[in-house]
Amino acid sequence: MTVLDETHSTPAPALAVLGRAVRRGTLIRAASVLVVLAVLAAAPYVVNVTVVFTLEEIAAFSVFAVATNLLVGQAGLVSFGQGVFFGLGAYTVTLGWEHAHWSFWTGFALAPVLGAAAAVPVGLVALRARTLYFALISLAFSQLCYQLVEQNTGFTGGANGVFAAVVPTWMENPVNGYLTLLGIAVAALAVLRWIYASNFGMLLRASRENRARVQALGTSVYRLHLLAFTISGAFCALAGAMLVIYNQGSNAELFDWTTSGQAVITSVIGGMYTFLGPVVGAFVYQFGHDNLVRYVPDWQLVLGAVLLLAVLARPDGLAGAVRLHRRQAGNTSDAELNSAAEGPGATSE
Amino acid sequence: MDTFVTETVSILTNTAMLFVVSAGLTLVFGALRLINMAHGSLFMIGALIAASLASALGGAWGFSVAVLAATAGAAALGAGVEVSLLRRLHQREPLAQLLATFALVLVFADLAQRVWGSSDRSVTAPVAGRFHLAGATVPEYNLIVIGIAGLVALGLWLLLACTATGWRVRAAVEDPESLAVGGTNLPLLRTSVFALGAALAGLAGAAIAPLESVGPGLDTQIIVAAFIVTVAGGLGSVLGAALGALVIATVESLGTLWVPAYASSAPYLVMILVLAVRPWGLFGIPER
Repeated sequence: MTVLDETHSTPAPALAVLGRAVRRGTLIRAASVLVVLAVLAAAPYVVNVTVVFTLEEIAAFSVFAVATNLLVGQAGLVSFGQGVFFGLGAYTVTLGWEHAHWSFWTGFALAPVLGAAAAVPVGLVALRARTLYFALISLAFSQLCYQLVEQNTGFTGGANGVFAAVVPTWMENPVNGYLTLLGIAVAALAVLRWIYASNFGMLLRASRENRARVQALGTSVYRLHLLAFTISGAFCALAGAMLVIYNQGSNAELFDWTTSGQAVITSVIGGMYTFLGPVVGAFVYQFGHDNLVRYVPDWQLVLGAVLLLAVLARPDGLAGAVRLHRRQAGNTSDAELNSAAEGPGATSE
Repeated sequence: MDTFVTETVSILTNTAMLFVVSAGLTLVFGALRLINMAHGSLFMIGALIAASLASALGGAWGFSVAVLAATAGAAALGAGVEVSLLRRLHQREPLAQLLATFALVLVFADLAQRVWGSSDRSVTAPVAGRFHLAGATVPEYNLIVIGIAGLVALGLWLLLACTATGWRVRAAVEDPESLAVGGTNLPLLRTSVFALGAALAGLAGAAIAPLESVGPGLDTQIIVAAFIVTVAGGLGSVLGAALGALVIATVESLGTLWVPAYASSAPYLVMILVLAVRPWGLFGIPER
C-alpha cells in the first residue's frame, strides 16, 4: 500500500513522505518526544536537588513499570513477582562489588543477563498457572526471595541490605547520576517500544484477548509468555541496577511483594494499555509520594483511593483518559486504529 | 515425647488459625471467583477490635464478647465493601477485582493505624490454665483455638453440603443465570458469602490475638500465609484449605526445629512445588 501511495501522490517522494508524516502526526509525535527529552535533560540545571533525586528514582521505576507492564497490560499476565528481578538486578551490582570485587559497570552489565537467566526457571513454573493462580504464584516467588535474602545475613546483609561506595564517584553528583540514568532509561524504553510494536508485541496482545485463538493459529502461548517473562525479567533487573545509582546500595525490601505491587499500581494508574502509561504513572506516583509524605501522614490511604478510582472509573488509566479526550476532539482515524490495536477489547463479560 | 507433644499442639494451633483465615478466603473465591487481598486487613481489624475490647472489658466473658464483636465487625465491614464497591466490579475481569481489593489493603492499613495507632498490643488469654500431657505443658487456650477451628470446619461442611443455601453458593459460580431464574437473589447471596468470609477473618484475628502481638503489618503477614494455604490446597476448596493449613503449619514448625535459617522460606517452596506439579492446587479445579 505504501509503495502505491508514493508513486501516485506527488512527483517528489521525499516531500510526500514528509507530508504524510505531518498528516499522520508522526512528526508531531517525534517533535514532542524531543521536546520532552530536552526538558528532562535541562531539568537538573533548573530545579533543586530534591527534585533531581526524585527524577532519578522515576527513571529507574519507569523502566521497572514498563517492563512489568509488558506482562500486565500487554500479555494480560498479572505478575506480583517482578520484584524478584528488580531486587536481583540491584543485588547483582552491590554483591558483585562486595564479594567478587566487580566494578560497578561489570555488575550493571551482568544484571539484565542474570535477570533473564533467573526469569526462565521462574517462568517455566509460574506460567503453568493461569490468571489469578499466576498472580499468586508470582507473589510467592517474590516472598520466597525476600525471605532468602533477609535470612542469609552473612551473604546479603539481611534486612539492612548492602550500602557502600559501589557507584563510581563521578556519579555521586546528582546531576551526573540523573543524566546517566536518563540516558539509560531512554535507551531501554526505546528497545521496549520496539518490542511492543513488533509482531511479538502484537501476538502478546492477541494472547491477552483470546488465548485459545492464538493457540489454534499455531503459536505456543506458553512459549510466547515465557519469552515475554524473560524479556521482562531482564529489563526489571536492569531497572534494579539503575536504582543502585539512586539508592547507593540495595535492600531486601526490593524483593517484597509490595515492591512488585508498586509496579502494577504504577501501570494501572498511568494506563496499562498504552506504552508510556506506566511512565506517566511513575511520575505521578513518585512526585505524589515525595510531596504528600511531607504533609499527609496517610500516604497509603491516598494511594489506595487513587487506585480504587482508577479501577472503578478509568481501567485504562490517565494515559487512556488523555487518548479518549483526543479522540473525542476529532483526531484522525490513526489514533482509533492504534487504540483498537492496543486497548482492551470489550471488557470480558 | 514431651517435645513431640509440644510440637504437635503448636502445629495444630497454627493449623487451626491458618484454616479459619484460609477457609474465609477460599469460600469467597468459590462463590464469587474473587481473590480478596484485603482478607488479611479484615483479620487485622478483627484482632485489633478484639484487643481493645478485651482489655476494656476484662475477664473471660469480656474476651468472649470481644471475639463476637470482632467477628460481627469484620462481617459488617466486609458486607459494606461488597455492596459499595465489589458489586460494581463483578462483571469486570479478575484483574480489576484483584486491584480493587489491593487498594483496600492500602486504605485499611492507614485507617487502622489512624484508629488504633502504630504500637503493638498484647492480649491476655481468657484462660491461663495449663495441663500436663506426657511430660509436656500445654496451655488450655491453644485447645480453645483448635476447638474453634473444629467448629468452623463442621459448620462450613454442614452449610455447604447439607443445606439448600450451600448448594446455591456452589451453583453461583457454575450457572448463575439458571440460579437467578430459579428465584435466588444472587446479589444478596454474594454479599452474604463475602460477609461470612470476612467474619471468619475477623474471628481468626480475634482468636489469635492472645497468642501473637497485634499491630500494623499483621495484615500483609497473614494474607501471604493464607494465599499459600489456599493456593496450595486449591482455591475454592474448603477441604483443600484444611489440608493446606496442616501441611504449611507442619513445614513451618519442623523447619524451625531442623533448619531455622530456612524455616520462613519453606512454606513458599512447598507452595511452588505443589503448583509446579498441580497448577490448580491439591483440591482445586483446573481453570477453563
